[in-house]
Amino acid sequence: MGVRSNSSEMYQREQSGSLNNGGSSHRNNSSTNLVTSLMKSWRISSSSSTSSPPQQSSRDSLISIDGNFEAMAKQQTSAKRSSPSPYSPMRYTSPGLSNSTSNLGSGGTSSSDAPRPSLITTTHRHSSTNHHHHHRRNENTGGKKVSKYFKDLDEDWSAVIDDYNMPIPVISNGGIASPATPKVGRSSSITSTPTSSTTAVAPENVNPTFSYPQLPQLKRSISSDLRSQLEMENERDAQELNAIMQRIAKFDAILKNKHIINQQELRQISWNGVPKSHRATVWKLLIGYLPANTKRQALLLQRKRREYRDGLQHIFSTKHSRDVPTWHQIEIDVPRTNPHIALYQFDSTQTSLQRILYLWAIRHPASGYVQGINDLVTPFYQTFLTEYLSASQMDDVENLDPKSYITDEQLKDVEADTFWCLTKLLEQITDNYIHGQPGILKQVKNLGQLVKRIDQDLYKHFQNEHVEFIQFAFRWMNCLLMREFQMGTVIRMWDTYLSETSPETTSSAAISSDLVPPHTPTEPKSATFQSPAQDFTSPTSASSSAKEEISKMRQSSLNEFHVFVCAAFLIKWSDQLMNMDFQEIITFLQNPPTKTWQETDIEMLLSEAYIWQSLYKDATSHWQ
Amino acid sequence: MNSGITSIKLVLLGEAAVGKSSIVLRFVSNDFTENKEPTIGAAFLTQRVNIGEQTVKFEIWDTAGQERFASLAPMYYRNAQAALVVYDITKPQSFIKARHWVKELHEQASKGIIIALVGNKVDIVSSGGERKVAREEAEKLAEEEGLLFFETSAKTGENVNEVFLGIGEKIPLGRPDEQSGLQNGGVRITDDQRIDLASTGSGAVAASGCNC
Repeated sequence: MGVRSNSSEMYQREQSGSLNNGGSSHRNNSSTNLVTSLMKSWRISSSSSTSSPPQQSSRDSLISIDGNFEAMAKQQTSAKRSSPSPYSPMRYTSPGLSNSTSNLGSGGTSSSDAPRPSLITTTHRHSSTNHHHHHRRNENTGGKKVSKYFKDLDEDWSAVIDDYNMPIPVISNGGIASPATPKVGRSSSITSTPTSSTTAVAPENVNPTFSYPQLPQLKRSISSDLRSQLEMENERDAQELNAIMQRIAKFDAILKNKHIINQQELRQISWNGVPKSHRATVWKLLIGYLPANTKRQALLLQRKRREYRDGLQHIFSTKHSRDVPTWHQIEIDVPRTNPHIALYQFDSTQTSLQRILYLWAIRHPASGYVQGINDLVTPFYQTFLTEYLSASQMDDVENLDPKSYITDEQLKDVEADTFWCLTKLLEQITDNYIHGQPGILKQVKNLGQLVKRIDQDLYKHFQNEHVEFIQFAFRWMNCLLMREFQMGTVIRMWDTYLSETSPETTSSAAISSDLVPPHTPTEPKSATFQSPAQDFTSPTSASSSAKEEISKMRQSSLNEFHVFVCAAFLIKWSDQLMNMDFQEIITFLQNPPTKTWQETDIEMLLSEAYIWQSLYKDATSHWQ
Repeated sequence: MNSGITSIKLVLLGEAAVGKSSIVLRFVSNDFTENKEPTIGAAFLTQRVNIGEQTVKFEIWDTAGQERFASLAPMYYRNAQAALVVYDITKPQSFIKARHWVKELHEQASKGIIIALVGNKVDIVSSGGERKVAREEAEKLAEEEGLLFFETSAKTGENVNEVFLGIGEKIPLGRPDEQSGLQNGGVRITDDQRIDLASTGSGAVAASGCNC
């Protein structure tokens, strides 16, 4: 009940904010429309949240959504700086919400963005000044009302997020006693605290009840209207640089000089993007290729790279009779993989991809090579190549011939790492590529049902125009939206996607048998291998069947999240699509205007997907 | 003019990498790209053509060629009035696949579907490459199965427009009395005049088309 009235207040606010925003009329429609759908969804979630009262503290909830707000805030700054973005920035343009972001930032920094307090104390005034400009100009609302609004908003989010089964494994382990032992005192203390905060950076003395100390400052800063545009831009640049440095430091804190890397922490932080300096290592950890136990990593790499070489030796030996159709199919697809990126035109790259894909295909006969897998291999390949480039050259990886900077043996190592990571990724979406591609058909169906609930007008319009979801969404599923975006944004997207995968599936299937000893409750490393999925099962079940159950759950996690990303992506164009006929719709969706998308745009999309997922979790319960 | 627009739903089928998407790209945009990404699922394109007094709008579904996607094909050919079954004249395997598609279309697609058998990549042969599918063999299949037959090059554009012209002539358009006029009719693309079918040759169509 409370939620309902709050959300309607937000709706009005949102509407008036966007109407006065000076933005295009399209923007207004879009944000109104979306907020309407958001309202609908909140109604749903409010009813479901009453049935299961929130268990987590509000602090947890705030932490869990912090990442999304961070992305939104990022989007906000970039949107302000650049000209209006080609797509509608949706409801997050509300000045109120961005202010509340700042509040969250300062109040809720207990974990994921821990180094920020210092940043905020120095820069907060400016950023809030900026927000406040809008606020003031647009609405002339009193501070009192604003403060009420913030409060309501926070409560709303808490209510929504409390009632949610996290895709981000932030707090999921909170309730479970972790087998803390003195040996790994540091990391086990992390896993046993419900906030899973970074010991290095997070102060624990965060006040869980929010007062809004910024508000007086907001009022005072009205006078700073005089601040020049340039000055603010410089500040924002400095702020961004600062944020990047802090982010790198946070990854260092998680990765460097650790015996056991805290996977949960890593997933949580990586969901919001991985600095390119750390990306290769982080991806290998996220997907479960590299073990969290750093002392085992070298040995594992050595072993896996040897295994890959042995595999190659076998397929090129006389003992192996070549699967000619598969070889041929890969041979014709490799040269037309990422045809617009120079890297993929070099012989060395094409040879690598041919070997990786062929070896994968013959090792996975149930699936075999399916077009689209040639796309999926490339983010790994070029990310792992960057390990051999200096920081200043990393951005050039798409233009350089690998042969010009690494040896044949090193290239084989890159191939091996790519091969194993591809294998692990595809393990999570096996059903997409087996005969009949049931995984994709199911996802397309789920997408349709989801859109029917989130944006019924659009769904009906598609029906009237005889647009079928499979006509445009098949490719979205088959290539994980890779064809819809430029490589740079795809890679950023994969930071999040790989954070949504599970190391459990993979470690139990491939690694655990030979390299990772079975869990025992007394073993320290079980603390780090504890999957967030454990939340879904009873804590007592440690049997192998439960483990299978877990991996099944986790297997669906990436697929499920991807459907929400697709829904967010589709609904982003809702206003335009409503005015199109069949032909225009299909043509538009085949070639969406995403060429100019930046990381912030994709982060926005992922955040939206995350929110949809949290709001519609009841819709997914029967997806299994 | 509105009453004069007829839509033709057309589907392209054939083995992977025979040039289905390239044929469509040539027809729709008069363009060619050497390494086109493999089509996933299917791609939809349209092109308007004037045939006599009629404006014909081709609504084209360009399907993915890989076997794994074949189960999607019925969705696209189900309501199609025309189909291009494409093979690569330098790849015998692709001709075998073409036979299968023709068979499947006759069994599953709507009764009156107009099928054109299209041997693509003649430019390879023109530039000294080896032809692996004899023209006679394909003509024989076309005759037996009642197909239009063309050999094309999406790369050079050779005969590509003629394929669509041939399809357009075979399909009953609007009022029956107009159809007789079509036989001599000038055909041209109205959209932006990129292609002029009339000048590139009804003659070629008559020569290569199968009159059955």
